[in-house]
Amino acid sequence: MLALIRSEWLKIRRSVIWLLLLVSPGLAGLIGLFGVREEQPGGPFPWLIALALMTALHAMLFLPLLTGVYAALVCRYEHAGGGWKQLLSLPVTRTRVYIVKFLFVMGLVALTQLLFLAVLLLIGTAKGGGGAIPWSELLGSVGRGWLACLPLAALQLAVSTAWSSFAAPLAVNVVFTIPNMLVANSADYAPYYPWVQPLLAMMPHQNGYDFGAFTLPSLTLLSVVMGSFVVFFLGGWAYFARKAV
Amino acid sequence: MSLRILSAELLKIRRKFIWFLIFLGPIGVVGLQAVNFGLRYDYLVGKVYRDDLWGGLIENVTILMVPTLFIGLAILASMVAGIEHQTNSWKQTLALPVTRTQVFTGKFLLNLLLLLVSTTLVAAGTIVLGIVLGFGTGIPYGVLLKACYYPFLAIVPFIALQNWLSVTFQNQAFPLTVGIAGMVVSMFSIRFGDWFPWKWPYLINAAKEPLYSVACGLAFGLVVLAAGLAHFVRKDVK
Repeated sequence: MLALIRSEWLKIRRSVIWLLLLVSPGLAGLIGLFGVREEQPGGPFPWLIALALMTALHAMLFLPLLTGVYAALVCRYEHAGGGWKQLLSLPVTRTRVYIVKFLFVMGLVALTQLLFLAVLLLIGTAKGGGGAIPWSELLGSVGRGWLACLPLAALQLAVSTAWSSFAAPLAVNVVFTIPNMLVANSADYAPYYPWVQPLLAMMPHQNGYDFGAFTLPSLTLLSVVMGSFVVFFLGGWAYFARKAV
Repeated sequence: MSLRILSAELLKIRRKFIWFLIFLGPIGVVGLQAVNFGLRYDYLVGKVYRDDLWGGLIENVTILMVPTLFIGLAILASMVAGIEHQTNSWKQTLALPVTRTQVFTGKFLLNLLLLLVSTTLVAAGTIVLGIVLGFGTGIPYGVLLKACYYPFLAIVPFIALQNWLSVTFQNQAFPLTVGIAGMVVSMFSIRFGDWFPWKWPYLINAAKEPLYSVACGLAFGLVVLAAGLAHFVRKDVK
């Protein structure tokens, strides 16, 4: 298992991936920097308003779509030039290969989330909010957003192992993520739609953002996330274990 | 010659799911609006858009169409360029008795043509949806055609850009992330000035004249295409 992790690490280090990690936190940071207005000049930095604003950019489309890009990336070297045959002819089990690839996808999502948090903390501190950082809300938001990406990563890894084209798995991702723009406003349907969960999970529950589906108990969200994760992961794993490479 | 290149490109994309996506995009956009109007029929038809049902429908379709175009053109450009990348056949393609300019513009024209098909399908789908929803046959064709084709013309710089990036980089993660970022940024573009290219396809400008956005798009599109071309004819291919 450890050897597999090391070999995956070898494949992705020094690749374009490190640039990709910065894109969403960077753009969210720009919105946070120029979009947030203090209620009164010199007043405390509005942490949760900044979080809500940056989340709207980061979690509605970026995070679900980036999860798909990461999943396609960790399969790229195997699709190019018959790498699957080579990798699976080594003394490794398919299950382990699949799990390690999944761990890397979620690891990259985790790094994205940490960078997002770092950018938010940087902006807030620079704007004078250093004294009263609402740690539990910020960490909770970033952590829940990561959890909500579990089912998405599982599905994307499944389609990424299935298709050798880079863009085709992403097209699947886009097909399901575009409806977020409409679904997010619907209190009836959003709680059951896995692709909108990162947004719901990261949005803070105050400051006028408590319309639509943004006020749901976290238990509902968690069961939808975990339920779809189990289905997608087991489906993808069962497919990969039998796939002809 | 250009026609023969284009027909060769059309041959290459057969059975690659590309035509499927060209149809799926419009069906998705119109279908989502069908669900939107179907679920909230009383509210949207009875209250919000009571005085201008067709106008309301067209507006809603466009709101979804533009971001979908932004990401769709990135995926399309990546799949079209991916045919050569995946089989490592750039050398082979360029060894044929065609110029690099023809190959590059061929790919660009293919993207343009396929997206034109998608845009036309959106217009057709909107008409069907409106009639199914019982909006009558007083279809404002002028408004509809402008709402569909103006954004398509204003988005040409991005078709040229994604074509350029997808052809240049072997690793498609980079062009696709640029495409995703472009879509997300475009949705926040209302906050920016009229100089911001990602704002043009939404046809919003200070002069309230959609044609200005279209003109900017077409002019800048040619610039980006020329820049890509200048790079591609000098580029070393693997």
